[in-house]
Amino acid sequence: MLDVVQLLLDGLLDGAGYALVGLGLSLTFGGLKRLNLAYGATAMLAAYVGAWLHIRHQAPAWLVALTVVASAALIGLYVERLCFGLPRDESTQPRGAPIAGADGREVVALASSFAIWMQLEQLAVNLLPRHLNAFPSLAAEGQWMVAMDVFGSVSGVAGGELMLRPDRLALAVMTVLLTLGLARWLERSRAGLAWRAVADHRVAAHLVGMPVSRLQALGFAAACALSGVAAFAMLSLDAQVTPMFGMWVLLKGLVAAILGGLGSVRGVLWGGLLLGVVESLAQSWLGALAREFATYALLFIVLVAPWRASGRSAL
Amino acid sequence: MSASWVHAVGLASDMAIMSLLALSAYLLLLVGRVSFGQQAFFGLGAYASGVMSALFAWPLAAALALGVVVGALCSWALALPTMRLSGLHYAVATLAFGEMARIALSALHWQRPTEDGPVGPAGIEGFRDIRWLLENDVSAEAYLLLTLGLLAAVLGLLMAAERTRLGTAWRMTGQDDVLTAAQGVSVARMRLLVAALAGGLAALGGGLYAHRTTYIEPALFDPMLGVHAVGYALLGGLGTALGPFLGVVIDLGLLDAARLFPGWRMVIFGGLVALFLRWRPRGLLDEVLVHRLGQWLRRQPPAQPPNPPTAP
Repeated sequence: MLDVVQLLLDGLLDGAGYALVGLGLSLTFGGLKRLNLAYGATAMLAAYVGAWLHIRHQAPAWLVALTVVASAALIGLYVERLCFGLPRDESTQPRGAPIAGADGREVVALASSFAIWMQLEQLAVNLLPRHLNAFPSLAAEGQWMVAMDVFGSVSGVAGGELMLRPDRLALAVMTVLLTLGLARWLERSRAGLAWRAVADHRVAAHLVGMPVSRLQALGFAAACALSGVAAFAMLSLDAQVTPMFGMWVLLKGLVAAILGGLGSVRGVLWGGLLLGVVESLAQSWLGALAREFATYALLFIVLVAPWRASGRSAL
Repeated sequence: MSASWVHAVGLASDMAIMSLLALSAYLLLLVGRVSFGQQAFFGLGAYASGVMSALFAWPLAAALALGVVVGALCSWALALPTMRLSGLHYAVATLAFGEMARIALSALHWQRPTEDGPVGPAGIEGFRDIRWLLENDVSAEAYLLLTLGLLAAVLGLLMAAERTRLGTAWRMTGQDDVLTAAQGVSVARMRLLVAALAGGLAALGGGLYAHRTTYIEPALFDPMLGVHAVGYALLGGLGTALGPFLGVVIDLGLLDAARLFPGWRMVIFGGLVALFLRWRPRGLLDEVLVHRLGQWLRRQPPAQPPNPPTAP
């Protein structure tokens, strides 16, 4: 009983990290209806810039954090201008898109952001060629032991202690606050209204005098800055960054975002938590390979599941 | 034999093998699908044909053929549940499938003891000693000729197929599936057929790759391989089956072989693909250019000016 609780707890804490990582991805998709595949590479290159400052110039953690967030936003601007900044309203049937159907431009953005992914990842590796690079550490020493006598007295099972890392818990709390705050801000503030208006109908937003292109670039950069926040938070727990980080951010974030319904901000939280719990259970039952497999199997099943038949185009 | 000659033969073989993978991505692009999972069929084909030739001593041709069948069947099976997905969800689903296949191959242990020790897939350690070429005294040059011959045959078949009604139906499906269905062409059938063909092509490339390098491991078949395949097709052009080949030549032949930009190859290649997609979304050899080239070729030699009719 207690080890299952421990598993669920670990899964939930991991899942909060996935939700944090997927937040920016889902926000971009909500606004642009485009998937930014360079998302993970953006976070990774920004983290590498931070690690470079840390290693070469012994920058303090707060400066690294600022650098990571700011460079993620800047790289995001570059990605947006190159891959997503196309005038999309020129015609319904863009001339010579690879796939000229209804989602032609969507696929162009998908493929070109994939190309930029490779570019950014290579730039990061050129910056710091080693496989393991030090990152400022904010990890807490030791962990809390939480006495679980309640279970003992209620269910008759012997009580025990749960292990809980305080830094992980802080990350989870931060994620929940950030997600709920962002969702509320999108719903209540004027800027959030503008973002939703652009997402809802670009032409109508343009007609009422909104600078659609600039808003899109701003929102995109903000979402990428969120990826910088996520990158700093996750990496400072590990105190190191490797070239695998970009792929990790994209895949975990993508699964969390798709599980939660791409574009939904609160959904990412649930998607991330679900992914964390499923991974944790799969690992304990079937081993480390199964944990990895479970991620993709979950993603695949959610995508092709027959019960999504009606909502397929809406997502 | 100089080292540069050996390197050149190896590079040419790699280019031919990558062209097969790029062609499989190209076929799917023709029917309007972006797949980030072609590396899975490449890997499945490599493992299937490697197992057959190394564990069961099948001849190379039979092992390759079995790999093609496995790749085609798996690709067809993947196309069934993903049939109705939109472009974006299809791309993500194929990516997920590719990773599932890679992890499944990482869990595959199937070894047989031989006098040189156990042979066969050993999970994450990979699959060593696919030694059919060494045991049968096939030189690297002869194998290169075989690979090039297979590539030429595939290119010829595809270019011939595109001139038929079937090829026209593929392009129609990619342009507008609703309109195509309205013309009485079964979009689902076209996509299933093309998926099977593409899976078979990728698996053929994988089988050739496994026998060339004698060693494969699951980590080789990561999404980057599939992305490259799509990138080659988009860079080279979707107007003709020669397009993906041109993309491979540009990347492997020019950027990598020339070693002009060590460490910057991906930066340049990635940037090129993104720029191309922005200003030339269907690649270098797009349909318009292919059509113009075709007209130009047909005009050579210039047609005889018609004789003015002489009055009787």
